[in-house]
Amino acid sequence: MKGLILKDLMCLRKQLTNFCFVMAGVLIASIMYVLSARYGNMAKVGQEMLNGNATQVDVRNIGSMVLVMFMLLPIASVGDMLYVFLADGKAGFGKVSATFPVPLKKRMLARFLTIYAMFGIGVAVDLLVAFLLSLLTDILNFREFFGIIISGASVMSIYSALVILFCVVLGYGKEQYAQCAALFTMAAAVVLANFDKVKYFVVEIMMHDKKMESRDLWAPLDFVREKGYVLFLTAAAVSILAYFLSYRIADRKRGVV
Amino acid sequence: MDENIEIRNVIELEHVSKDYRDFKLDDVSFTVPEGSVCGFIGQNGAGKTTTINLILDVIRRDSGVVRVFGENVDENTAGLREDIGVVFDEMGFHEFMTGKDINIMMKNIYKNWDEEAFFGYLKQFALPAKKKCGAFSRGMRMKLQIAVALSHHAKLLVMDEPTSGLDPIVRNEMMNIFRDFVVEEDHTILLSSHITGDLEKLADEVVFIDGGRIVLAGNKDEMLEKHGILKCKKTEVEKISKSLIVSAEVGSFGAEVMVNDRKAAQKLYPDMVIEPAALEQIMIFYVNKRQSRREVRS
Repeated sequence: MKGLILKDLMCLRKQLTNFCFVMAGVLIASIMYVLSARYGNMAKVGQEMLNGNATQVDVRNIGSMVLVMFMLLPIASVGDMLYVFLADGKAGFGKVSATFPVPLKKRMLARFLTIYAMFGIGVAVDLLVAFLLSLLTDILNFREFFGIIISGASVMSIYSALVILFCVVLGYGKEQYAQCAALFTMAAAVVLANFDKVKYFVVEIMMHDKKMESRDLWAPLDFVREKGYVLFLTAAAVSILAYFLSYRIADRKRGVV
Repeated sequence: MDENIEIRNVIELEHVSKDYRDFKLDDVSFTVPEGSVCGFIGQNGAGKTTTINLILDVIRRDSGVVRVFGENVDENTAGLREDIGVVFDEMGFHEFMTGKDINIMMKNIYKNWDEEAFFGYLKQFALPAKKKCGAFSRGMRMKLQIAVALSHHAKLLVMDEPTSGLDPIVRNEMMNIFRDFVVEEDHTILLSSHITGDLEKLADEVVFIDGGRIVLAGNKDEMLEKHGILKCKKTEVEKISKSLIVSAEVGSFGAEVMVNDRKAAQKLYPDMVIEPAALEQIMIFYVNKRQSRREVRS
């Protein structure tokens, strides 16, 4: 199993170039964030809020929004496991690995572990940046940063687990379809879980309802900051389920993982 | 005294079937004795790869039994694979991987992986260890697979069309590698190919599959000894006993008839010329037989 994880990491080594560019971008964005939070617009809005003046938007939401946009890039970048699937499919590695003295269970587990090992790198990088940002700025504390990062990593792992599952279901050469299916499943799950809210939201938009304006559109960000553990637990459950389902399906297909 | 020596079968298939709707591997049974080179021949799409995948337990069979080294493949697949080296017609390793990368991966996969032997083979086959295998020629890629297959001290080599698309020089080199491998008494090779010329030089046993069914299986020399090409006039074909005829090719100048018992045919028809048959001819005549039967049915 270790050999297969090493192979996948060697395969993902190609991603390092992308990762370096992403890191450079994140560092620049972090510096801009610090400057804005200390001397720029965010500092200005923060000051207004402290003075008790009404502002249109909570500065913490602006900060969270900005962070969500750039801090999740490292996780997204290293989590691009599609590259491994493409390379495996192109080389016909699945056929070769099916003849290795590694049981199917372990071969499947290796695939999942590689993904989470790579996420680990992204999360570690993000936590380091978050720690520095929490020291240098006072808009968000480290706990809130942590919530954002864990939420992002959880969403990405749900997506990755589903992509692996759909890759196993659809087979090699259909990685793009697997990605679409994973995105569709996630979107469908979110809509179904919040069906009533989504229904009213859509109706209000269509009717140009005044209630729209009173709705707290930043609520999802509060959830991300405060309740990242819910997404984390969901991700863990989805990953375990996806692993067992993938294993069962691969076993029925006898093995090309 | 020799009669007491029991020949162990490394591969045993008993009534194995696999149905793919558009193709069926039907009631396949054959054995591969230890220490032999078994040529697995048949035209493209005959069922060679499916059979190999069933032997390796890469695909699930519908019925029958597959035993490797005397063990049912279902029961100890991972353990059995330690002793099996597999070579496919395509390399299977990522194009940017080098020999060194493959060594790192394999030494964490096979318990018996011999790093020294692997680099020794790379040197012997003139394969640069630091060069990306995507830059290798087809011959080099096949040699790399063979180096991997040999470096974990496999006792059985299973190869699916390893020589297809290679030039005669590289094919000859590969034949020499296989010959060296079977010098050890307990080493066995199952080699599928439609290039029968190579197998004629190397194989001890031949299994011939066509349309998902085993047509012939047994000792190669006996097979070649038994079959013959009888050359006669078109009008003489009907005189030949039907039980002897595999199939016949009738041309404008005469007929060529494949007989399944050369000695009997020689005795019965002393005036006719009977030449020894090559594996390729045996394959062609048996395929023709099946096709003509199918045409008659339809």
